[in-house]
Amino acid sequence: MGFLRDFTNGLWNENPTFRIVIGMCPTLAITNQAINGLVMGLATTFVLLASEIVVSLIKKLVPNEVRIPSYVVIIATFVTFVDYFLKAFLPDVAAALSLFIPLIVVNCIILGRAEAFASKNPVKNSIADALGMGLGFTWALVLLSVIREFLGSGSVFGFRLLGNWYPRMTIMLLPAGAFISLGLLMGVMNLISRKKSGKEVN
Amino acid sequence: MKKLILTLTIIGLISALALAYIYQITAPLIEGEEALARKKAVLDVLPESDSYTEVVKNGIIFYEGNVEGEVAMSVSGGGFNGEIKLMIGANPFEGKIYKITVLNHSETPGLGSKITDDEFTSIFAGKPFGKYQVVKRPVSNPMEVEAISGATISSQAVTDIISDAVNRMRLAYGGGA
Repeated sequence: MGFLRDFTNGLWNENPTFRIVIGMCPTLAITNQAINGLVMGLATTFVLLASEIVVSLIKKLVPNEVRIPSYVVIIATFVTFVDYFLKAFLPDVAAALSLFIPLIVVNCIILGRAEAFASKNPVKNSIADALGMGLGFTWALVLLSVIREFLGSGSVFGFRLLGNWYPRMTIMLLPAGAFISLGLLMGVMNLISRKKSGKEVN
Repeated sequence: MKKLILTLTIIGLISALALAYIYQITAPLIEGEEALARKKAVLDVLPESDSYTEVVKNGIIFYEGNVEGEVAMSVSGGGFNGEIKLMIGANPFEGKIYKITVLNHSETPGLGSKITDDEFTSIFAGKPFGKYQVVKRPVSNPMEVEAISGATISSQAVTDIISDAVNRMRLAYGGGA
């Protein structure tokens, strides 16, 4: 019951990046290359999934007063795991994301979902919520970083698409480019939603 | 109260055990990766050598290549945004730089990040040891380095790091040529 709805919720309706607008620090900082966006999104998805499962499992055992510190320790454990894992198996990507992997600990998407969803819902629904939110975050980061990499470097996922004739828009790789493209994307998202709800009314 | 302490203790304990286990598995892999990356970086700046040994002189680690006179060192210093880490290959006996590479930096993409381009790093290849000067015009003598346009601070930072490094290398190898 509600499994599918919990899953699709994060993909569009409550998309963490475009709708709730949380987790902005990694969103703005690391999306200048598509591969960074993808790995950051998947790393966050993993931490989100693992933390929501554990939080949902122990929700009845943890006293209310120490709820938040318990969640933070659980999240930090999984983040450290991801950090070691990336350094061991994908050292180049780990170097590019550097500080932003450990900072997943304080990504409010994770603590937010643990507190708002997993601590109140069964494991099954928490898995759906974590996957939805995680993949919602991932597609937003990938879209943003593909646009920025394409305009800023003329390539996508490191593949040269535009030749040397292309005047690279360096600003797209800088923080300002992140704000510009995120703002425009949010506008487009709102336009699509408005169109959709408008149709339903008619 | 007791229950609160107990809960946090148990969670902390399980977390620590799990992390210790994961650390044991990944630590050798991470170390291997780092050693491999260092080896590649060292051999990259030494033209003839295909292996090297670590030697400590004046408290600095040098990588001496198996071909006589080829020495590499890893140095770092402040750039425009953060630390710039370089690998320098040189011959301290002849007082000549072979090659430099940028290992790590966080300079502005598209501007300062050009310090990693061959066009910039190759300026230092073949330069004699000494104090280099950054200039914003075509160079007129071998001690001058033409700044990357729009990235004077990054160019200056790299140049200063190299000037300082070759000086230390010269001192460690007995005053040089």
